[in-house]
Amino acid sequence: MNPWLHAVLYSLVLVTVLMTCTAYATWLERKVAGRMQSRLGPTRVGFAGLLQPIADALKLLQKEDIVPLAADRALFNLAPPLTVFFALATAAVIPFSPGLLASDLDIGALYVLALSGLMVFPVWIGSWASNNKYALLGGMRAVAQGISYEIPLLLSVTIVILMADTMSLSGIVQVQADEGWFIARPFGLGLATFALFFVAALAEGNRIPFDTPEAESELVAGPTTEYTGMKFGLFYMAEYLHSIIVAGLGAALFLGGWDGPIAPGLHWMVLKTLGLWMVMLWARWTFLRFRTDQMMTLCWRYLVPASLGLLMAAAVWVHAVHGVS
Amino acid sequence: MEQLAFGLVAAVLLYSALRVVSEDNLVHTVLWLGVTLATTAAAYVLLHAPFLAAIQIILYTGGALTLMLFGVMLTQRVESVEVPNAAAGQGRAAIVVALLFGVIAAAVVKTPGLPSSPPVDVPVRALGRSFLTTHLLAFEVLSVLLLTAMVGAIVLARKADPAPAPTPKPAPKAHDAHGEAHP
Repeated sequence: MNPWLHAVLYSLVLVTVLMTCTAYATWLERKVAGRMQSRLGPTRVGFAGLLQPIADALKLLQKEDIVPLAADRALFNLAPPLTVFFALATAAVIPFSPGLLASDLDIGALYVLALSGLMVFPVWIGSWASNNKYALLGGMRAVAQGISYEIPLLLSVTIVILMADTMSLSGIVQVQADEGWFIARPFGLGLATFALFFVAALAEGNRIPFDTPEAESELVAGPTTEYTGMKFGLFYMAEYLHSIIVAGLGAALFLGGWDGPIAPGLHWMVLKTLGLWMVMLWARWTFLRFRTDQMMTLCWRYLVPASLGLLMAAAVWVHAVHGVS
Repeated sequence: MEQLAFGLVAAVLLYSALRVVSEDNLVHTVLWLGVTLATTAAAYVLLHAPFLAAIQIILYTGGALTLMLFGVMLTQRVESVEVPNAAAGQGRAAIVVALLFGVIAAAVVKTPGLPSSPPVDVPVRALGRSFLTTHLLAFEVLSVLLLTAMVGAIVLARKADPAPAPTPKPAPKAHDAHGEAHP
């Protein structure tokens, strides 16, 4: 098939599937959160509330679109679609099964990190363009958090790159399929790296317990304070998309991606992604939000030194196992 | 196809760079700079240097730009979206820039043996190896430069010089404040 046609079709399918997953992720989250708090969650719209996401989307579309008079109009309107764009663009290199990915970049892991580093920009742009002090405070927190937690995130992925000896995500999954998953290999070090990646990714995605930019008890709704209707919906969507993609990335980097017995690779990838995403939910509805200064302390005093230590340990391990190549 | 892509990237690059220097609002300037830096990464992709493109995004668009935003937000009294850019539209700068452009253009023209065809893809492995063998000195000098910058930033950011040694005595009395060192 023509590579251009293939790229367009694949992207269309991927975007559609991811958007549907995002919509139903909100349903699942509300169900799980409800059960964790002895509630039922959505039950009214459709069987077991299954039509709730569609009702939500329709409701958001009907809402009046308000742009504050003192806002920077162009940037205010630019920010919401830009967040979704960056979140979706990350999905291009996630390998779902052997050969099933939009683009098998040689530098896939770096590409993901580059885009996830950009994720804070639309949030900040939206917060600044809102011309609202709560929004701006939230935006500044988002940027501070993003740029700090990017370092342990980058270093934890660097450790995986070092151990796998490749930067291509499908290559990293293939190495794990051949030689064992990186969460358990080398013993202890892999698990610690995974924990580091997971915490940094949660913080980078502004998920509870790291959602200090949003902090509704202090900042109304943080960067999204002035947004209404579907523009708010887009921010919301981007957050869910990002969390799903981060779960997929974690599955590909540490849990062997599509590798698994009996069932085809895609099933395993989806199962692992969903599992990791459920752990995020679990964390979200269990822990309390950190304070901003605690977030910074955690990152700079503990995670950054720990990640540097792990990187050195991984280098020693790679040298001991493979020798100088 | 590649010609077309290059034309597009170059046009966006020039336009955004123009906006960086002509914009009246400092925050807009920084954001246009973000577009310029990201488009530079696109140019690297067209030159078959995807690794450089990713690093460009991570370091410049993701890192340096964020720091600039912090600089703008923390040094100005930000009371609304109007953040004036006092440096916008200065004619004198144009002369300096024209001279610099002349020097760089001359250097490009005078350099013999520049390849006219697009370069081949260099695997990241080879790139890393050359950093640690052929270009080791430049690599290390850069590290020292960055370390110096970091130490300098910490020195500048430190609130005040802490007292060299904790003085056991309370605050000096009025009559011995004539410049003599305390024992």
